[in-house]
Amino acid sequence: MKLSTYNFLTSMAIKGVKVGFPLKLTISKKELVETEFNPTFVERLLPKLDWSAVYGAAQVAELAEDIPAVQPESIADNEELLQKLHHLLFEIDVLEGQLECPETGRIFPITDGIPNMLLNEDEV
Amino acid sequence: MHVEQQQQIVNNAKKAEKKRRRCLAIIKSDCDVSPSDTPTVYLAILNVGLSNGLTEERLLEAAAQTGGSVSEVAMLAGKSYCFLVCSTLEDSKLVFTGMHNVATIGQLGAVAYLSYVQALPALAGKSKWNKPLPSGLIVLPDFVSEAEEETLLKSIADDCRSHEGTLKHRHVKHFGYEFLYGSNNVDPTRPLDQPVPPACDFLWPRVENFSSSWDWSKPDQLTVNEYEPGHGIPPHVDTHSAFLDPILSLSLQSDVVMDFRRGDSQVQVKLPRRSLLIMSGEARYDWTHGIKPKHIDVVPTPTGSLTTQVRSKRTSLTFRRLRRGNCNCSYPTLCDSQQSKVPQELSTTLADQAVSLEQQNVHEVYDKIANHFSETRHTPWPQVAQFLDGFDTASVVLDVGCGNGKYLGCNAHVLAIGCDRSQGLLAVGRQRGQHLFRCDCLNVPVRSSSIDGCISIAVIHHLASAERRLGALREMARVLRPGGRALVYVWAKEQRRNDKKSAYLRQNKAVNKERTTEQVQRQKQQQQMEKQPRDHVALPVHTNRTEFQQQDVLVPWKTKDEQRTTFLRYYHVFEEQELEKLVAQLPDVELKRSYYDQGNHCVIFERK
Repeated sequence: MKLSTYNFLTSMAIKGVKVGFPLKLTISKKELVETEFNPTFVERLLPKLDWSAVYGAAQVAELAEDIPAVQPESIADNEELLQKLHHLLFEIDVLEGQLECPETGRIFPITDGIPNMLLNEDEV
Repeated sequence: MHVEQQQQIVNNAKKAEKKRRRCLAIIKSDCDVSPSDTPTVYLAILNVGLSNGLTEERLLEAAAQTGGSVSEVAMLAGKSYCFLVCSTLEDSKLVFTGMHNVATIGQLGAVAYLSYVQALPALAGKSKWNKPLPSGLIVLPDFVSEAEEETLLKSIADDCRSHEGTLKHRHVKHFGYEFLYGSNNVDPTRPLDQPVPPACDFLWPRVENFSSSWDWSKPDQLTVNEYEPGHGIPPHVDTHSAFLDPILSLSLQSDVVMDFRRGDSQVQVKLPRRSLLIMSGEARYDWTHGIKPKHIDVVPTPTGSLTTQVRSKRTSLTFRRLRRGNCNCSYPTLCDSQQSKVPQELSTTLADQAVSLEQQNVHEVYDKIANHFSETRHTPWPQVAQFLDGFDTASVVLDVGCGNGKYLGCNAHVLAIGCDRSQGLLAVGRQRGQHLFRCDCLNVPVRSSSIDGCISIAVIHHLASAERRLGALREMARVLRPGGRALVYVWAKEQRRNDKKSAYLRQNKAVNKERTTEQVQRQKQQQQMEKQPRDHVALPVHTNRTEFQQQDVLVPWKTKDEQRTTFLRYYHVFEEQELEKLVAQLPDVELKRSYYDQGNHCVIFERK
């Protein structure tokens, strides 16, 4: 799972959960995958992402120093930050780990790079 | 004689003997038939059969040249050998001496090797002749005289107002009503100018003895078929809802052999020139009938042996009466009226058992067939790719039910994320480095209003109730941001548009080349399924690459491995406008476009 995908996942489908976001991420095994950097793509993608989850992911991925806690107002000229965001969102591949619902503590395992967000019939 | 020549003859005999032994060993292991050292009436043709191009006709012609009389031929599908049964031991000896190492009926004129055997293989089944006729089938020979035959042909030929057409393999004319080959039906509201010619009226008093039990006493529709030698008609039943019982067919100008089939049962019936064929009851409703496209027929002689007969041009007059309503016969397998009726209680049962049905007949099946299924899903459908191309750089696109993720790489400028229920299919996509997560389409674990585009291709037809199908659409609408668009494809019940077959139907090569028909395939499938134990809801099993008979069906998936296991996937195929009606129930959503694409109903909707 790339951390760009992580930015969209919630546990709100669980009965009684209101927001279910951001999920608490734990990484037990990750891999670095080099991908082509496209500054325009990252810049345009940012408005669609939730910054708190971007920052949260950076902390778990031990890249907290690269990413500011608050989203800078203008980023288009900051190619260095765009590069770091690209690395965080598209080059870190979580192979094993888990996602945890912030409200219920329900664990969603990540196995072989795929988070299993399936819920049982009685949970929804 | 020179020594070399003598040596040559000895070598040839040795070669023949060696070949003979090898073939006999194959036959012994294939079908447990042993050779006989002393003559019997059973002969095996050791090295030529259906698999290397021999026909029954060719074999009989070769046997006839020996002067021996043959009473039965057993050709086995896919085998390079076949069998003859002779009328007497004397006949058998004549055929053996006349053909063994003599008859050049093999491939490229190769010589045939023969052997006496102890019996016919059990596999050969019974002769297609000497069988009881299907119930309800009557052939009345000499039904019209030669003079009457001439009068009938003349009155039809003279009628230039009749509705003419040429089909792939034969010339047809319609009277009373046109038989529409696209829908295999008639339009009762559009009678033709020319009714059944009055010149045919003299026929009906002649069937009075039979017609007391019929639905009708005078036909209102006549189809005239002209068959040149080599022409045929694929096996079919006349559409139940189109015509009443029985169907009559008058053969003129030439004899022909008609094949009747019901599942594995096959009966050949000779229709002599000037005979009337009556198909009623079981023969009309449950047996298909067809004529093989051949120049020569194999026919029985009065003494019980088989011979060949060259066809001449034949004209058949098929007389029928329109039903004008639904058929309620007692033969549902091929009954279009009964097959299309959805039992009322079924949708309730489906809704009750939706979760377990989907688990068993969708999720478990996809996990088991994931790799093979994935191999068959590689080319993106053009109109889906086009939809994906319409998104701006860095748009976020979610594929709900992405399967092996074949659409995730379509537009390299967007962030495409896929989700699916099947672990097996996700694993395939994962190997291609795609962004994926596992979930159910009824609970998509994605932030509301966060997605620019959503696609769901061939997914929600796997949900077993209208409420659940709507629920999946509701989830797509929820994750879309205002202005975001979704494209949804579902399988259509209707696999034909404007008389054009969908890509799915076009893959049915055997039917398209008229080697068989959907009805025959359906009947075989039915027989196969009856042998398999089934423990789920009593849903009909669809016959692959044929038109759908019902909306809620199980579609077989045959694995490619040696076991050829059949898995059954549940589908709800959509009627016209059904998908649009679901979309109309979604709040804050506007239907932008709906269309039909190769057997699928498709909608594009936008979140307000």
